[in-house]
Amino acid sequence: MDCHNEECSRPQEEEDIMDIPLDDPEANRAAAKIQAGFRGHMTRKKLKPEDKAEGEERQEDRGQ
Amino acid sequence: MAPKKDPKAPAKKAEPAPAPAPAPEPAAAPAAPKIDLSAVKLEFTPDQVEDYREAFGLFDRVGDNKVAYNQIADIMRALGQNPTNKEVNKILGNPTAEDMANKRVEFEGFLPMLQTVINNPNKAGYEDYVEGLRVFDKEGNGTVMGAELRIVLSTLGEKMSETEIDSLMAGQEDENGCVNYEAFVKHIMSV
Repeated sequence: MDCHNEECSRPQEEEDIMDIPLDDPEANRAAAKIQAGFRGHMTRKKLKPEDKAEGEERQEDRGQ
Repeated sequence: MAPKKDPKAPAKKAEPAPAPAPAPEPAAAPAAPKIDLSAVKLEFTPDQVEDYREAFGLFDRVGDNKVAYNQIADIMRALGQNPTNKEVNKILGNPTAEDMANKRVEFEGFLPMLQTVINNPNKAGYEDYVEGLRVFDKEGNGTVMGAELRIVLSTLGEKMSETEIDSLMAGQEDENGCVNYEAFVKHIMSV
């Protein structure tokens, strides 16, 4: 797959699926760490404007 | 980043029912290595404890001064931590889905859980996030394709939902659909 040689000017969602290392434990571990950081950020961002327990509503998104 | 299995307590598979004070109900047969929360030394200042107590109280929707297992991760996030769901599950003793919804823990039980997360030596910092994203930087130019990042987030690791991803990526892609990941990580870490 060498369609990535130019700048990112084209959405290539379907071709990229081939490049995603689904079974690579390192990649998954790295992804999980990143996702944890993202989730932390999003929860804090949500709670910022008003100090309400809105975090609870996010739970359905965290289902595994 | 060497993964660590047992941050504090040794794995005691033969232990019948440790009955630690914080947990509402000890599991019958701990299969995976459990964390002994009663052995966790709390290192919080009184001010911190009060902050935590306040945050904890905000999540108590029932009014019993407890929160459900499935809220624990979010409270920790609210308090500045970034635990993986796997980490939280381990701390909670690998609860079932039913446990997650029904079991509740009081504030005193929550503190050692939080301390455990804080003590985790594998916590990710700026460099870890950037390095992680750099893996997907095909041209090595500091950007990743937003579309590819979305796919990674939804198919690898602890998969994120589309809603979560949309929320996360809002305003992050440039006109070419690319994300400058160093800027992205700085943004993430600013809250």
